[in-house]
Amino acid sequence: MYQAVRDALSIVLAKDDTAVVFGEDVAFGGVFRCTMGLAEEFGRERVFNTPLTEQGIAGFGIGLASMGHTAIAEIQFADYIFPAFDQIVNEAAKYRYRAGGQFSIGGLTIRTPTMAVGHGGLYHSQSPEGFFLGASGIKIVIPRSPIQCKGLLLTSIRDPNPVLFMEPKILYRSAVEQVPIDDFNIPLSRAETLMPGSDLTLLTWGTPVYHCESAISLLRSPPPTLEPLVPPSLRSATVELIDLRTILPWDIETIVESVKRTRRLVIVHEAGMTGGVGAEIAAEVQKRAFLRLEAPIRRITGWDVPAALQYEKFNMPDPIRILDGIMETLTY
Amino acid sequence: MIRVVRCLRHLRNTPLRSWRALSTAATTIPTASNQGALPTSRSPIVSELRFFDSVTNEQGHIPTYRVLDGVGIPVEGGQLPEINEEFARRLYEHMVLLPTVDNVLYNVQRQGKISFYYGEEATIIGSAAMLAPDDDLKLEIGQYREMGVLLWRGFGIDAIMAQCFGNLEDKSGKGRQMPMHFGSPEHHFHTISSPLATQIPQAAGVGYALRRDPARRDKNVACVYFGEGAASEGDFHAGMLLASTISCPTIFLARNNGFAISTPAHEQYAGDGIAARGPGYGIDTVRVDGNDILAVMNAVKEARRRCLASGRAVLVEAMTYRVGHHSTSDDSFAYRGRQEVDNKKKIDNPIMRFRLFMESRGWWNDQEEDALKSRLKKDVLTTLRKAESLKQSDLRDLFTDVYAGEEPWNLREQREELAGLIRKYGEAWQPWQSELKRFRDEGKKLAD
Repeated sequence: MYQAVRDALSIVLAKDDTAVVFGEDVAFGGVFRCTMGLAEEFGRERVFNTPLTEQGIAGFGIGLASMGHTAIAEIQFADYIFPAFDQIVNEAAKYRYRAGGQFSIGGLTIRTPTMAVGHGGLYHSQSPEGFFLGASGIKIVIPRSPIQCKGLLLTSIRDPNPVLFMEPKILYRSAVEQVPIDDFNIPLSRAETLMPGSDLTLLTWGTPVYHCESAISLLRSPPPTLEPLVPPSLRSATVELIDLRTILPWDIETIVESVKRTRRLVIVHEAGMTGGVGAEIAAEVQKRAFLRLEAPIRRITGWDVPAALQYEKFNMPDPIRILDGIMETLTY
Repeated sequence: MIRVVRCLRHLRNTPLRSWRALSTAATTIPTASNQGALPTSRSPIVSELRFFDSVTNEQGHIPTYRVLDGVGIPVEGGQLPEINEEFARRLYEHMVLLPTVDNVLYNVQRQGKISFYYGEEATIIGSAAMLAPDDDLKLEIGQYREMGVLLWRGFGIDAIMAQCFGNLEDKSGKGRQMPMHFGSPEHHFHTISSPLATQIPQAAGVGYALRRDPARRDKNVACVYFGEGAASEGDFHAGMLLASTISCPTIFLARNNGFAISTPAHEQYAGDGIAARGPGYGIDTVRVDGNDILAVMNAVKEARRRCLASGRAVLVEAMTYRVGHHSTSDDSFAYRGRQEVDNKKKIDNPIMRFRLFMESRGWWNDQEEDALKSRLKKDVLTTLRKAESLKQSDLRDLFTDVYAGEEPWNLREQREELAGLIRKYGEAWQPWQSELKRFRDEGKKLAD
């Protein structure tokens, strides 16, 4: 997936003379190789390192974008986006509104690696998307795969609003697929149904998409050790798997339509439960599908604890926890 | 309890520097040995242990540049900027206009007509004049008190009033922001926001964009104004770092007026003001007497020249004194003496100083002063009356401009929900009934 990021950035730099890429360590290729070779190809004036200051990177990007330029900033880990919280929430999100539409910073995109990676501990694992939910004026996008990443990143960079683009870092090298070399866009604020189903809607984004797929196949054909724990009557249930893709503004239509059909909803995310994105979605869906719901909306998330290093397997939502949540909801 | 308070007051009134100086011996650089330098530094290696504090010892202070003395007479050796009678009169009129607008708005605020007002007798006309040699090609990112720059650029008193009243002529922000938060792309003045210092790293980005724009490269600089209190924010550090390492043609214009609300400068920093920080970031720096418009003009003109020539940042610290209250929510006599302020007003008044200079050249007299003051007051009051008679923008604008492009479903639904509520309760609920009449659409366009 890191090559898909690079590919998207390269297309934008080639087609848009105002586009620049900057952040900590991006000039040599980036700590995740997402900007490999771009400085050599497009010059240090367009792909450059900044001092180590997240609030500065965000502020600098806002200034560039306010002049109509395309500013693609990188925050090295989503865990370190908090020093830029003020610039993003008070400045970027409100820039257009407070100026009566006279100024805008639509050319700003902030890319940042997010989610757990197996050994990231407290500050290389976080999923902070929920903290930005209230920052009306920005968009938040999280892709699940290389094709998705390229298409969504290209759209995000060209969207007339500031976008936080969060890349699940464990997928940088593990997710591999044939990505079209051409320039293409995937629309924002549109969820994608990955597997159709009629008995339960399973909604997620980023890394847990793969855990959800695993959970669905465990349900269908459990391995011998799990067989006694998965009632045969549930194995034929069909689960509709949806990738939300855009967290803000999110695609309520697709989700509500699905839940009205399946009558059950399970939401999976890595961030802690309290104040997480799942809470927002659950509240809206229960309002719109109240009479159709046959089970409480279930959230399977990281626990409300920091991302403890040695405990990760028991903290992040994994296929077995998702399987259990699906079965509990189906048998409610 | 009383004793403690008295102790604290004593501490506040005692300049920190007096005892700090005792602990810091005058600094001389030890002789370099033949050990060369470390790979990450150009610093010579020495064998003598010595601690450095280049800014708080008595010799280290950065001097303050001045052209006119307190009574408007050029100081010995001072170089006057090129200035003719016509230009001087234009400068003076704008200087006088600021307190005129200030006073009218201040009194209006006291009557409760506008909700909030920050006022300061500004000395930024000098910088505005040097930043805009040919009208509109300059880019500013403003801070609270920079109304003067906009007036110099022809923004108009009516636009100032429209913003302060948030009426339907307020192009700055459609009545969304508090008074004094102006903005105008036409005048290259980015919309002011309340969070302090956030504009400083943004200004570096603006400078970089100017350098990358073939039409404006080597022609324009970015300039950001901020107070000495804002310079304590992390964003100041970030902005200075970015502008120095990435090479952004940006002028950082710090106005050091001695107070951030109640906090005196010596509680804001222990070093030699803001200027002393510039060299630490590798930025050309000057300190200027901010109450001397001619000195400000010279300093900003040269700062701008250097900024363009090097493509890099420059720092200007203008030393002023805030004679007004911080804002209308503040009574500054709670933390400083009335006498102190009165003395400053008399002895070190930037308008008086420039007026005396003009009088010494035969460019100004008492009759002209009276005529100017009554003309400006009349202009300001006329625009004020018009501004207060106008309706607010459409109530619908509560929901517009949050996003560009398609309106998200949540905003659409919430807008329609409010429209429904107004249909239901708009007449019956008195607080809404009277408020709705203030808006041009009276809430009727909400559902469109």
